[in-house]
Amino acid sequence: MEMVTDQNVHGYSYSFKLSLSRVAPPPVEGRLVSVKERKMDGKLEMSLDKLPVKRLESIEENGFERFPTDIGYDEKQVSLIRRIDFGWAVEKEDEEKKQKKRQKKSSRESSSTTTPWPWKNMVENLHLAHQELSVIIDLINTVEANDAVTVAGMTRPKPLPNEILADLAVSTATKLQCYRNLGKYFKQSAKALEQQVAREARFYGALIRLQQNWKVKRQRVAAIAPGNEGFMIDLFDNSLYDSVAVFQPSSLSTIRIDHNSDGMLAINLPSKSCHSLLFGFLSGHSNAGPKKSNKSKTHGSLDNPYKKPEKESLSDNECVKDTHLLLRKVFDMVNRGAVNQSSGLNVTGIQENYLQLCIGPGISIYVSVVPSDQGDQAIDSEDTENLESAVEPSDSFDGVKLAEEKHNSLTKKTSFPNCITCEIYLKQIFHEYIFVEAKRRPFSTSTRMPGQPANDGSGLLSHFCLSLSHRIISNKVLMELENVVCRVPYLHLISHPTWHSRSSAWTIYMKIPPSILHASSQARTPDIQNMKNVKSEFWTKVMVRDDCINIEAEGAPNVVGLFKDSSDDICSTNKYDCNLDDLPVIILQQVASQVIRWLHEEALAVGIKANRDFLCLSFELEQGEILSLVARVDPEDIQGCISWLLTMEDSFAEEKKLHMNIADGASEYRKFLGYLPLDVLYSTLMDLVSLCGGGSH
Amino acid sequence: MNKAGGIAIGGGGGVGSGPTTSAAAAAAQKQKALMVRVETDIANIVDNFTHLVNAARINDTPVRNSQEACTMDMRASRMAQAADSLLKLVSELKQTAIFSGFASLNDHVDQRIGEFTQLAEKTDSLLARVGEEAAASLKELETHYYSSAQRTTQTLET
Repeated sequence: MEMVTDQNVHGYSYSFKLSLSRVAPPPVEGRLVSVKERKMDGKLEMSLDKLPVKRLESIEENGFERFPTDIGYDEKQVSLIRRIDFGWAVEKEDEEKKQKKRQKKSSRESSSTTTPWPWKNMVENLHLAHQELSVIIDLINTVEANDAVTVAGMTRPKPLPNEILADLAVSTATKLQCYRNLGKYFKQSAKALEQQVAREARFYGALIRLQQNWKVKRQRVAAIAPGNEGFMIDLFDNSLYDSVAVFQPSSLSTIRIDHNSDGMLAINLPSKSCHSLLFGFLSGHSNAGPKKSNKSKTHGSLDNPYKKPEKESLSDNECVKDTHLLLRKVFDMVNRGAVNQSSGLNVTGIQENYLQLCIGPGISIYVSVVPSDQGDQAIDSEDTENLESAVEPSDSFDGVKLAEEKHNSLTKKTSFPNCITCEIYLKQIFHEYIFVEAKRRPFSTSTRMPGQPANDGSGLLSHFCLSLSHRIISNKVLMELENVVCRVPYLHLISHPTWHSRSSAWTIYMKIPPSILHASSQARTPDIQNMKNVKSEFWTKVMVRDDCINIEAEGAPNVVGLFKDSSDDICSTNKYDCNLDDLPVIILQQVASQVIRWLHEEALAVGIKANRDFLCLSFELEQGEILSLVARVDPEDIQGCISWLLTMEDSFAEEKKLHMNIADGASEYRKFLGYLPLDVLYSTLMDLVSLCGGGSH
Repeated sequence: MNKAGGIAIGGGGGVGSGPTTSAAAAAAQKQKALMVRVETDIANIVDNFTHLVNAARINDTPVRNSQEACTMDMRASRMAQAADSLLKLVSELKQTAIFSGFASLNDHVDQRIGEFTQLAEKTDSLLARVGEEAAASLKELETHYYSSAQRTTQTLET
């Protein structure tokens, strides 16, 4: 049963909204309702107000209508309030009690076959309570809005024990719930903190390990970016500079360490920070352009943050950064040294990361620092081959194929030293300077001038360049010596490693074979036998310092020795310089003169008087003719460098020579003996001796 | 707390051995500040926990109960915050130890220097040995070659 009317604000017509359905919610706004509801059967008592239609109260005889006076709004409210009667609630309670008793009785009496819905009672009670509450709320609102009616007094009913217990239970349950929530919260926090602890442990462990190998600094600048812990690795080596001059580490030499999302160290190298030092020779030939030297082995760039702080990755890291740092240092120093005016080096090209120097005629080197590509760079073996095969042989030879091959293989050997070795040497000397010399510097920081490192750098660079040019020259010298020694069978070449980068030494050694010595000792005259044995070993020392070739040899007759009697045993040692082109000739002359000297001594040992000239041993025959054994040196001769001639001259030979054709003269006065080994020479000598008149025989 | 104190003392001791008195005073002050922080945090935690336990009593008035629920939340978060700040303190101490533990750093650096010097010496000796062997081999080979029959026969052929 529903009755719906509208409510006018001004109260001319009161109306109320009733809802009698059990499930539907009560009206939202407070309406004044006076209703008596009994049970579900719905016997409803309602008191309705009169409609505010103006009713005629009375009408007089003269037609004047009398209306009742308007009741004021407040009065109306008051009257309505007064009409609220809560007696019904009390009655209801009594009735409920009665009903319960009846129900109990009925339930006791009759066994209930149908099980009622267990929540029914609760629903009912809740509904009733709800309705009561809505009434009270309306009342309160009205009282609140109305000044005329105020609450006289409120007494809270004394709670029943079960109510107390219920309240307690609710509070307890609430608190328990609170604590459970707290427990969850604590567990969460604990887990998070544990994770944080673990992360920090990993981070600091890695940082400690890193610090053992690198200079790790804290950043003073406040961290702006999130996740930035404010650490950095400083690769700048301050030991070379005054601390005042260089205050801020450049961004190039610092590497930031950040916290990774895992809590690990994330080191982000700038993308092109891994460099390699390239060193090479610029060829003077037509195939221009620098030949690529072997790229030094670099490890891959570490753009990925390394996850495991293991020692391997650390060592990789170390190597990369070592290389990077050292190369930059080296390059910087090389640059400074080269550009310095007093260094005396010729800088023929300079770019940002590239430096080209001229260290000799037609010899240029370049040094550059290039960023290495991603991934490992293996040593390019192709480049080495290219380098070796690209050097053109400077000489071309005709002749027997075997000889040609041999010579070609000799000349194909590149005269340029290996690029890798040069690179290593460059790095080594600068490294030694940087890290070893610099350590001794801190003791003299006060007296150190800022310009000093540059000077020393240029000194080092010039040393390096001189070493390079020395290597090249010594290679050439060695080639020449080997050519010479190759073609003279009784010469030995002995190398003497000097372990010095700017000097080299060799000895050309000639030893008279023991068979000859034995034969000679037998042929000797008894009176001379007591004399000292004939010298059987001759040496010629060749030394190269920087680019000066110095020859030291014995047995070469100098001007003084020519005038001296040749019986002195003290052999004169000569020292002189020569240049590369004259080297073979001089060596051969030296050797030939040594052979002549030996022959001379042998001749003297058998008692023949012989004259020794520079390359000529002459015997005087009985007829007054002079028989000479002449040595001829020719470094270009393939078959042998030292050849021998026999010449015969008489006292009139001088005049005849002038008029005669040389070709005719050769057949008559000269005989070409060929490239004689020592034993043949010795036997030839003995023949000559016998020809001279036999001496002791 | 003992550990933290120990680290602090260790860190402080390491720094405090500087020559200047001002540095020592600064170090002592820093150490004191750290100790104060540690104690504050720990007291915070204990205090809040105590209050939390005390709030377990159930009062009559529901108002009080809900008030206590709010305070419980507050205490719990304070505890978590104190723990967090302790953790930060620990990390700060670690940082100090890493960067200012000069004694250990110097020791380590010296150790590394020793290692590397040894390595350098070993390498040098190795290089020297290699050089000597190379020189000896070269000498032997040269003498053998130049006095060998092959060479003489070769020259005879040419």
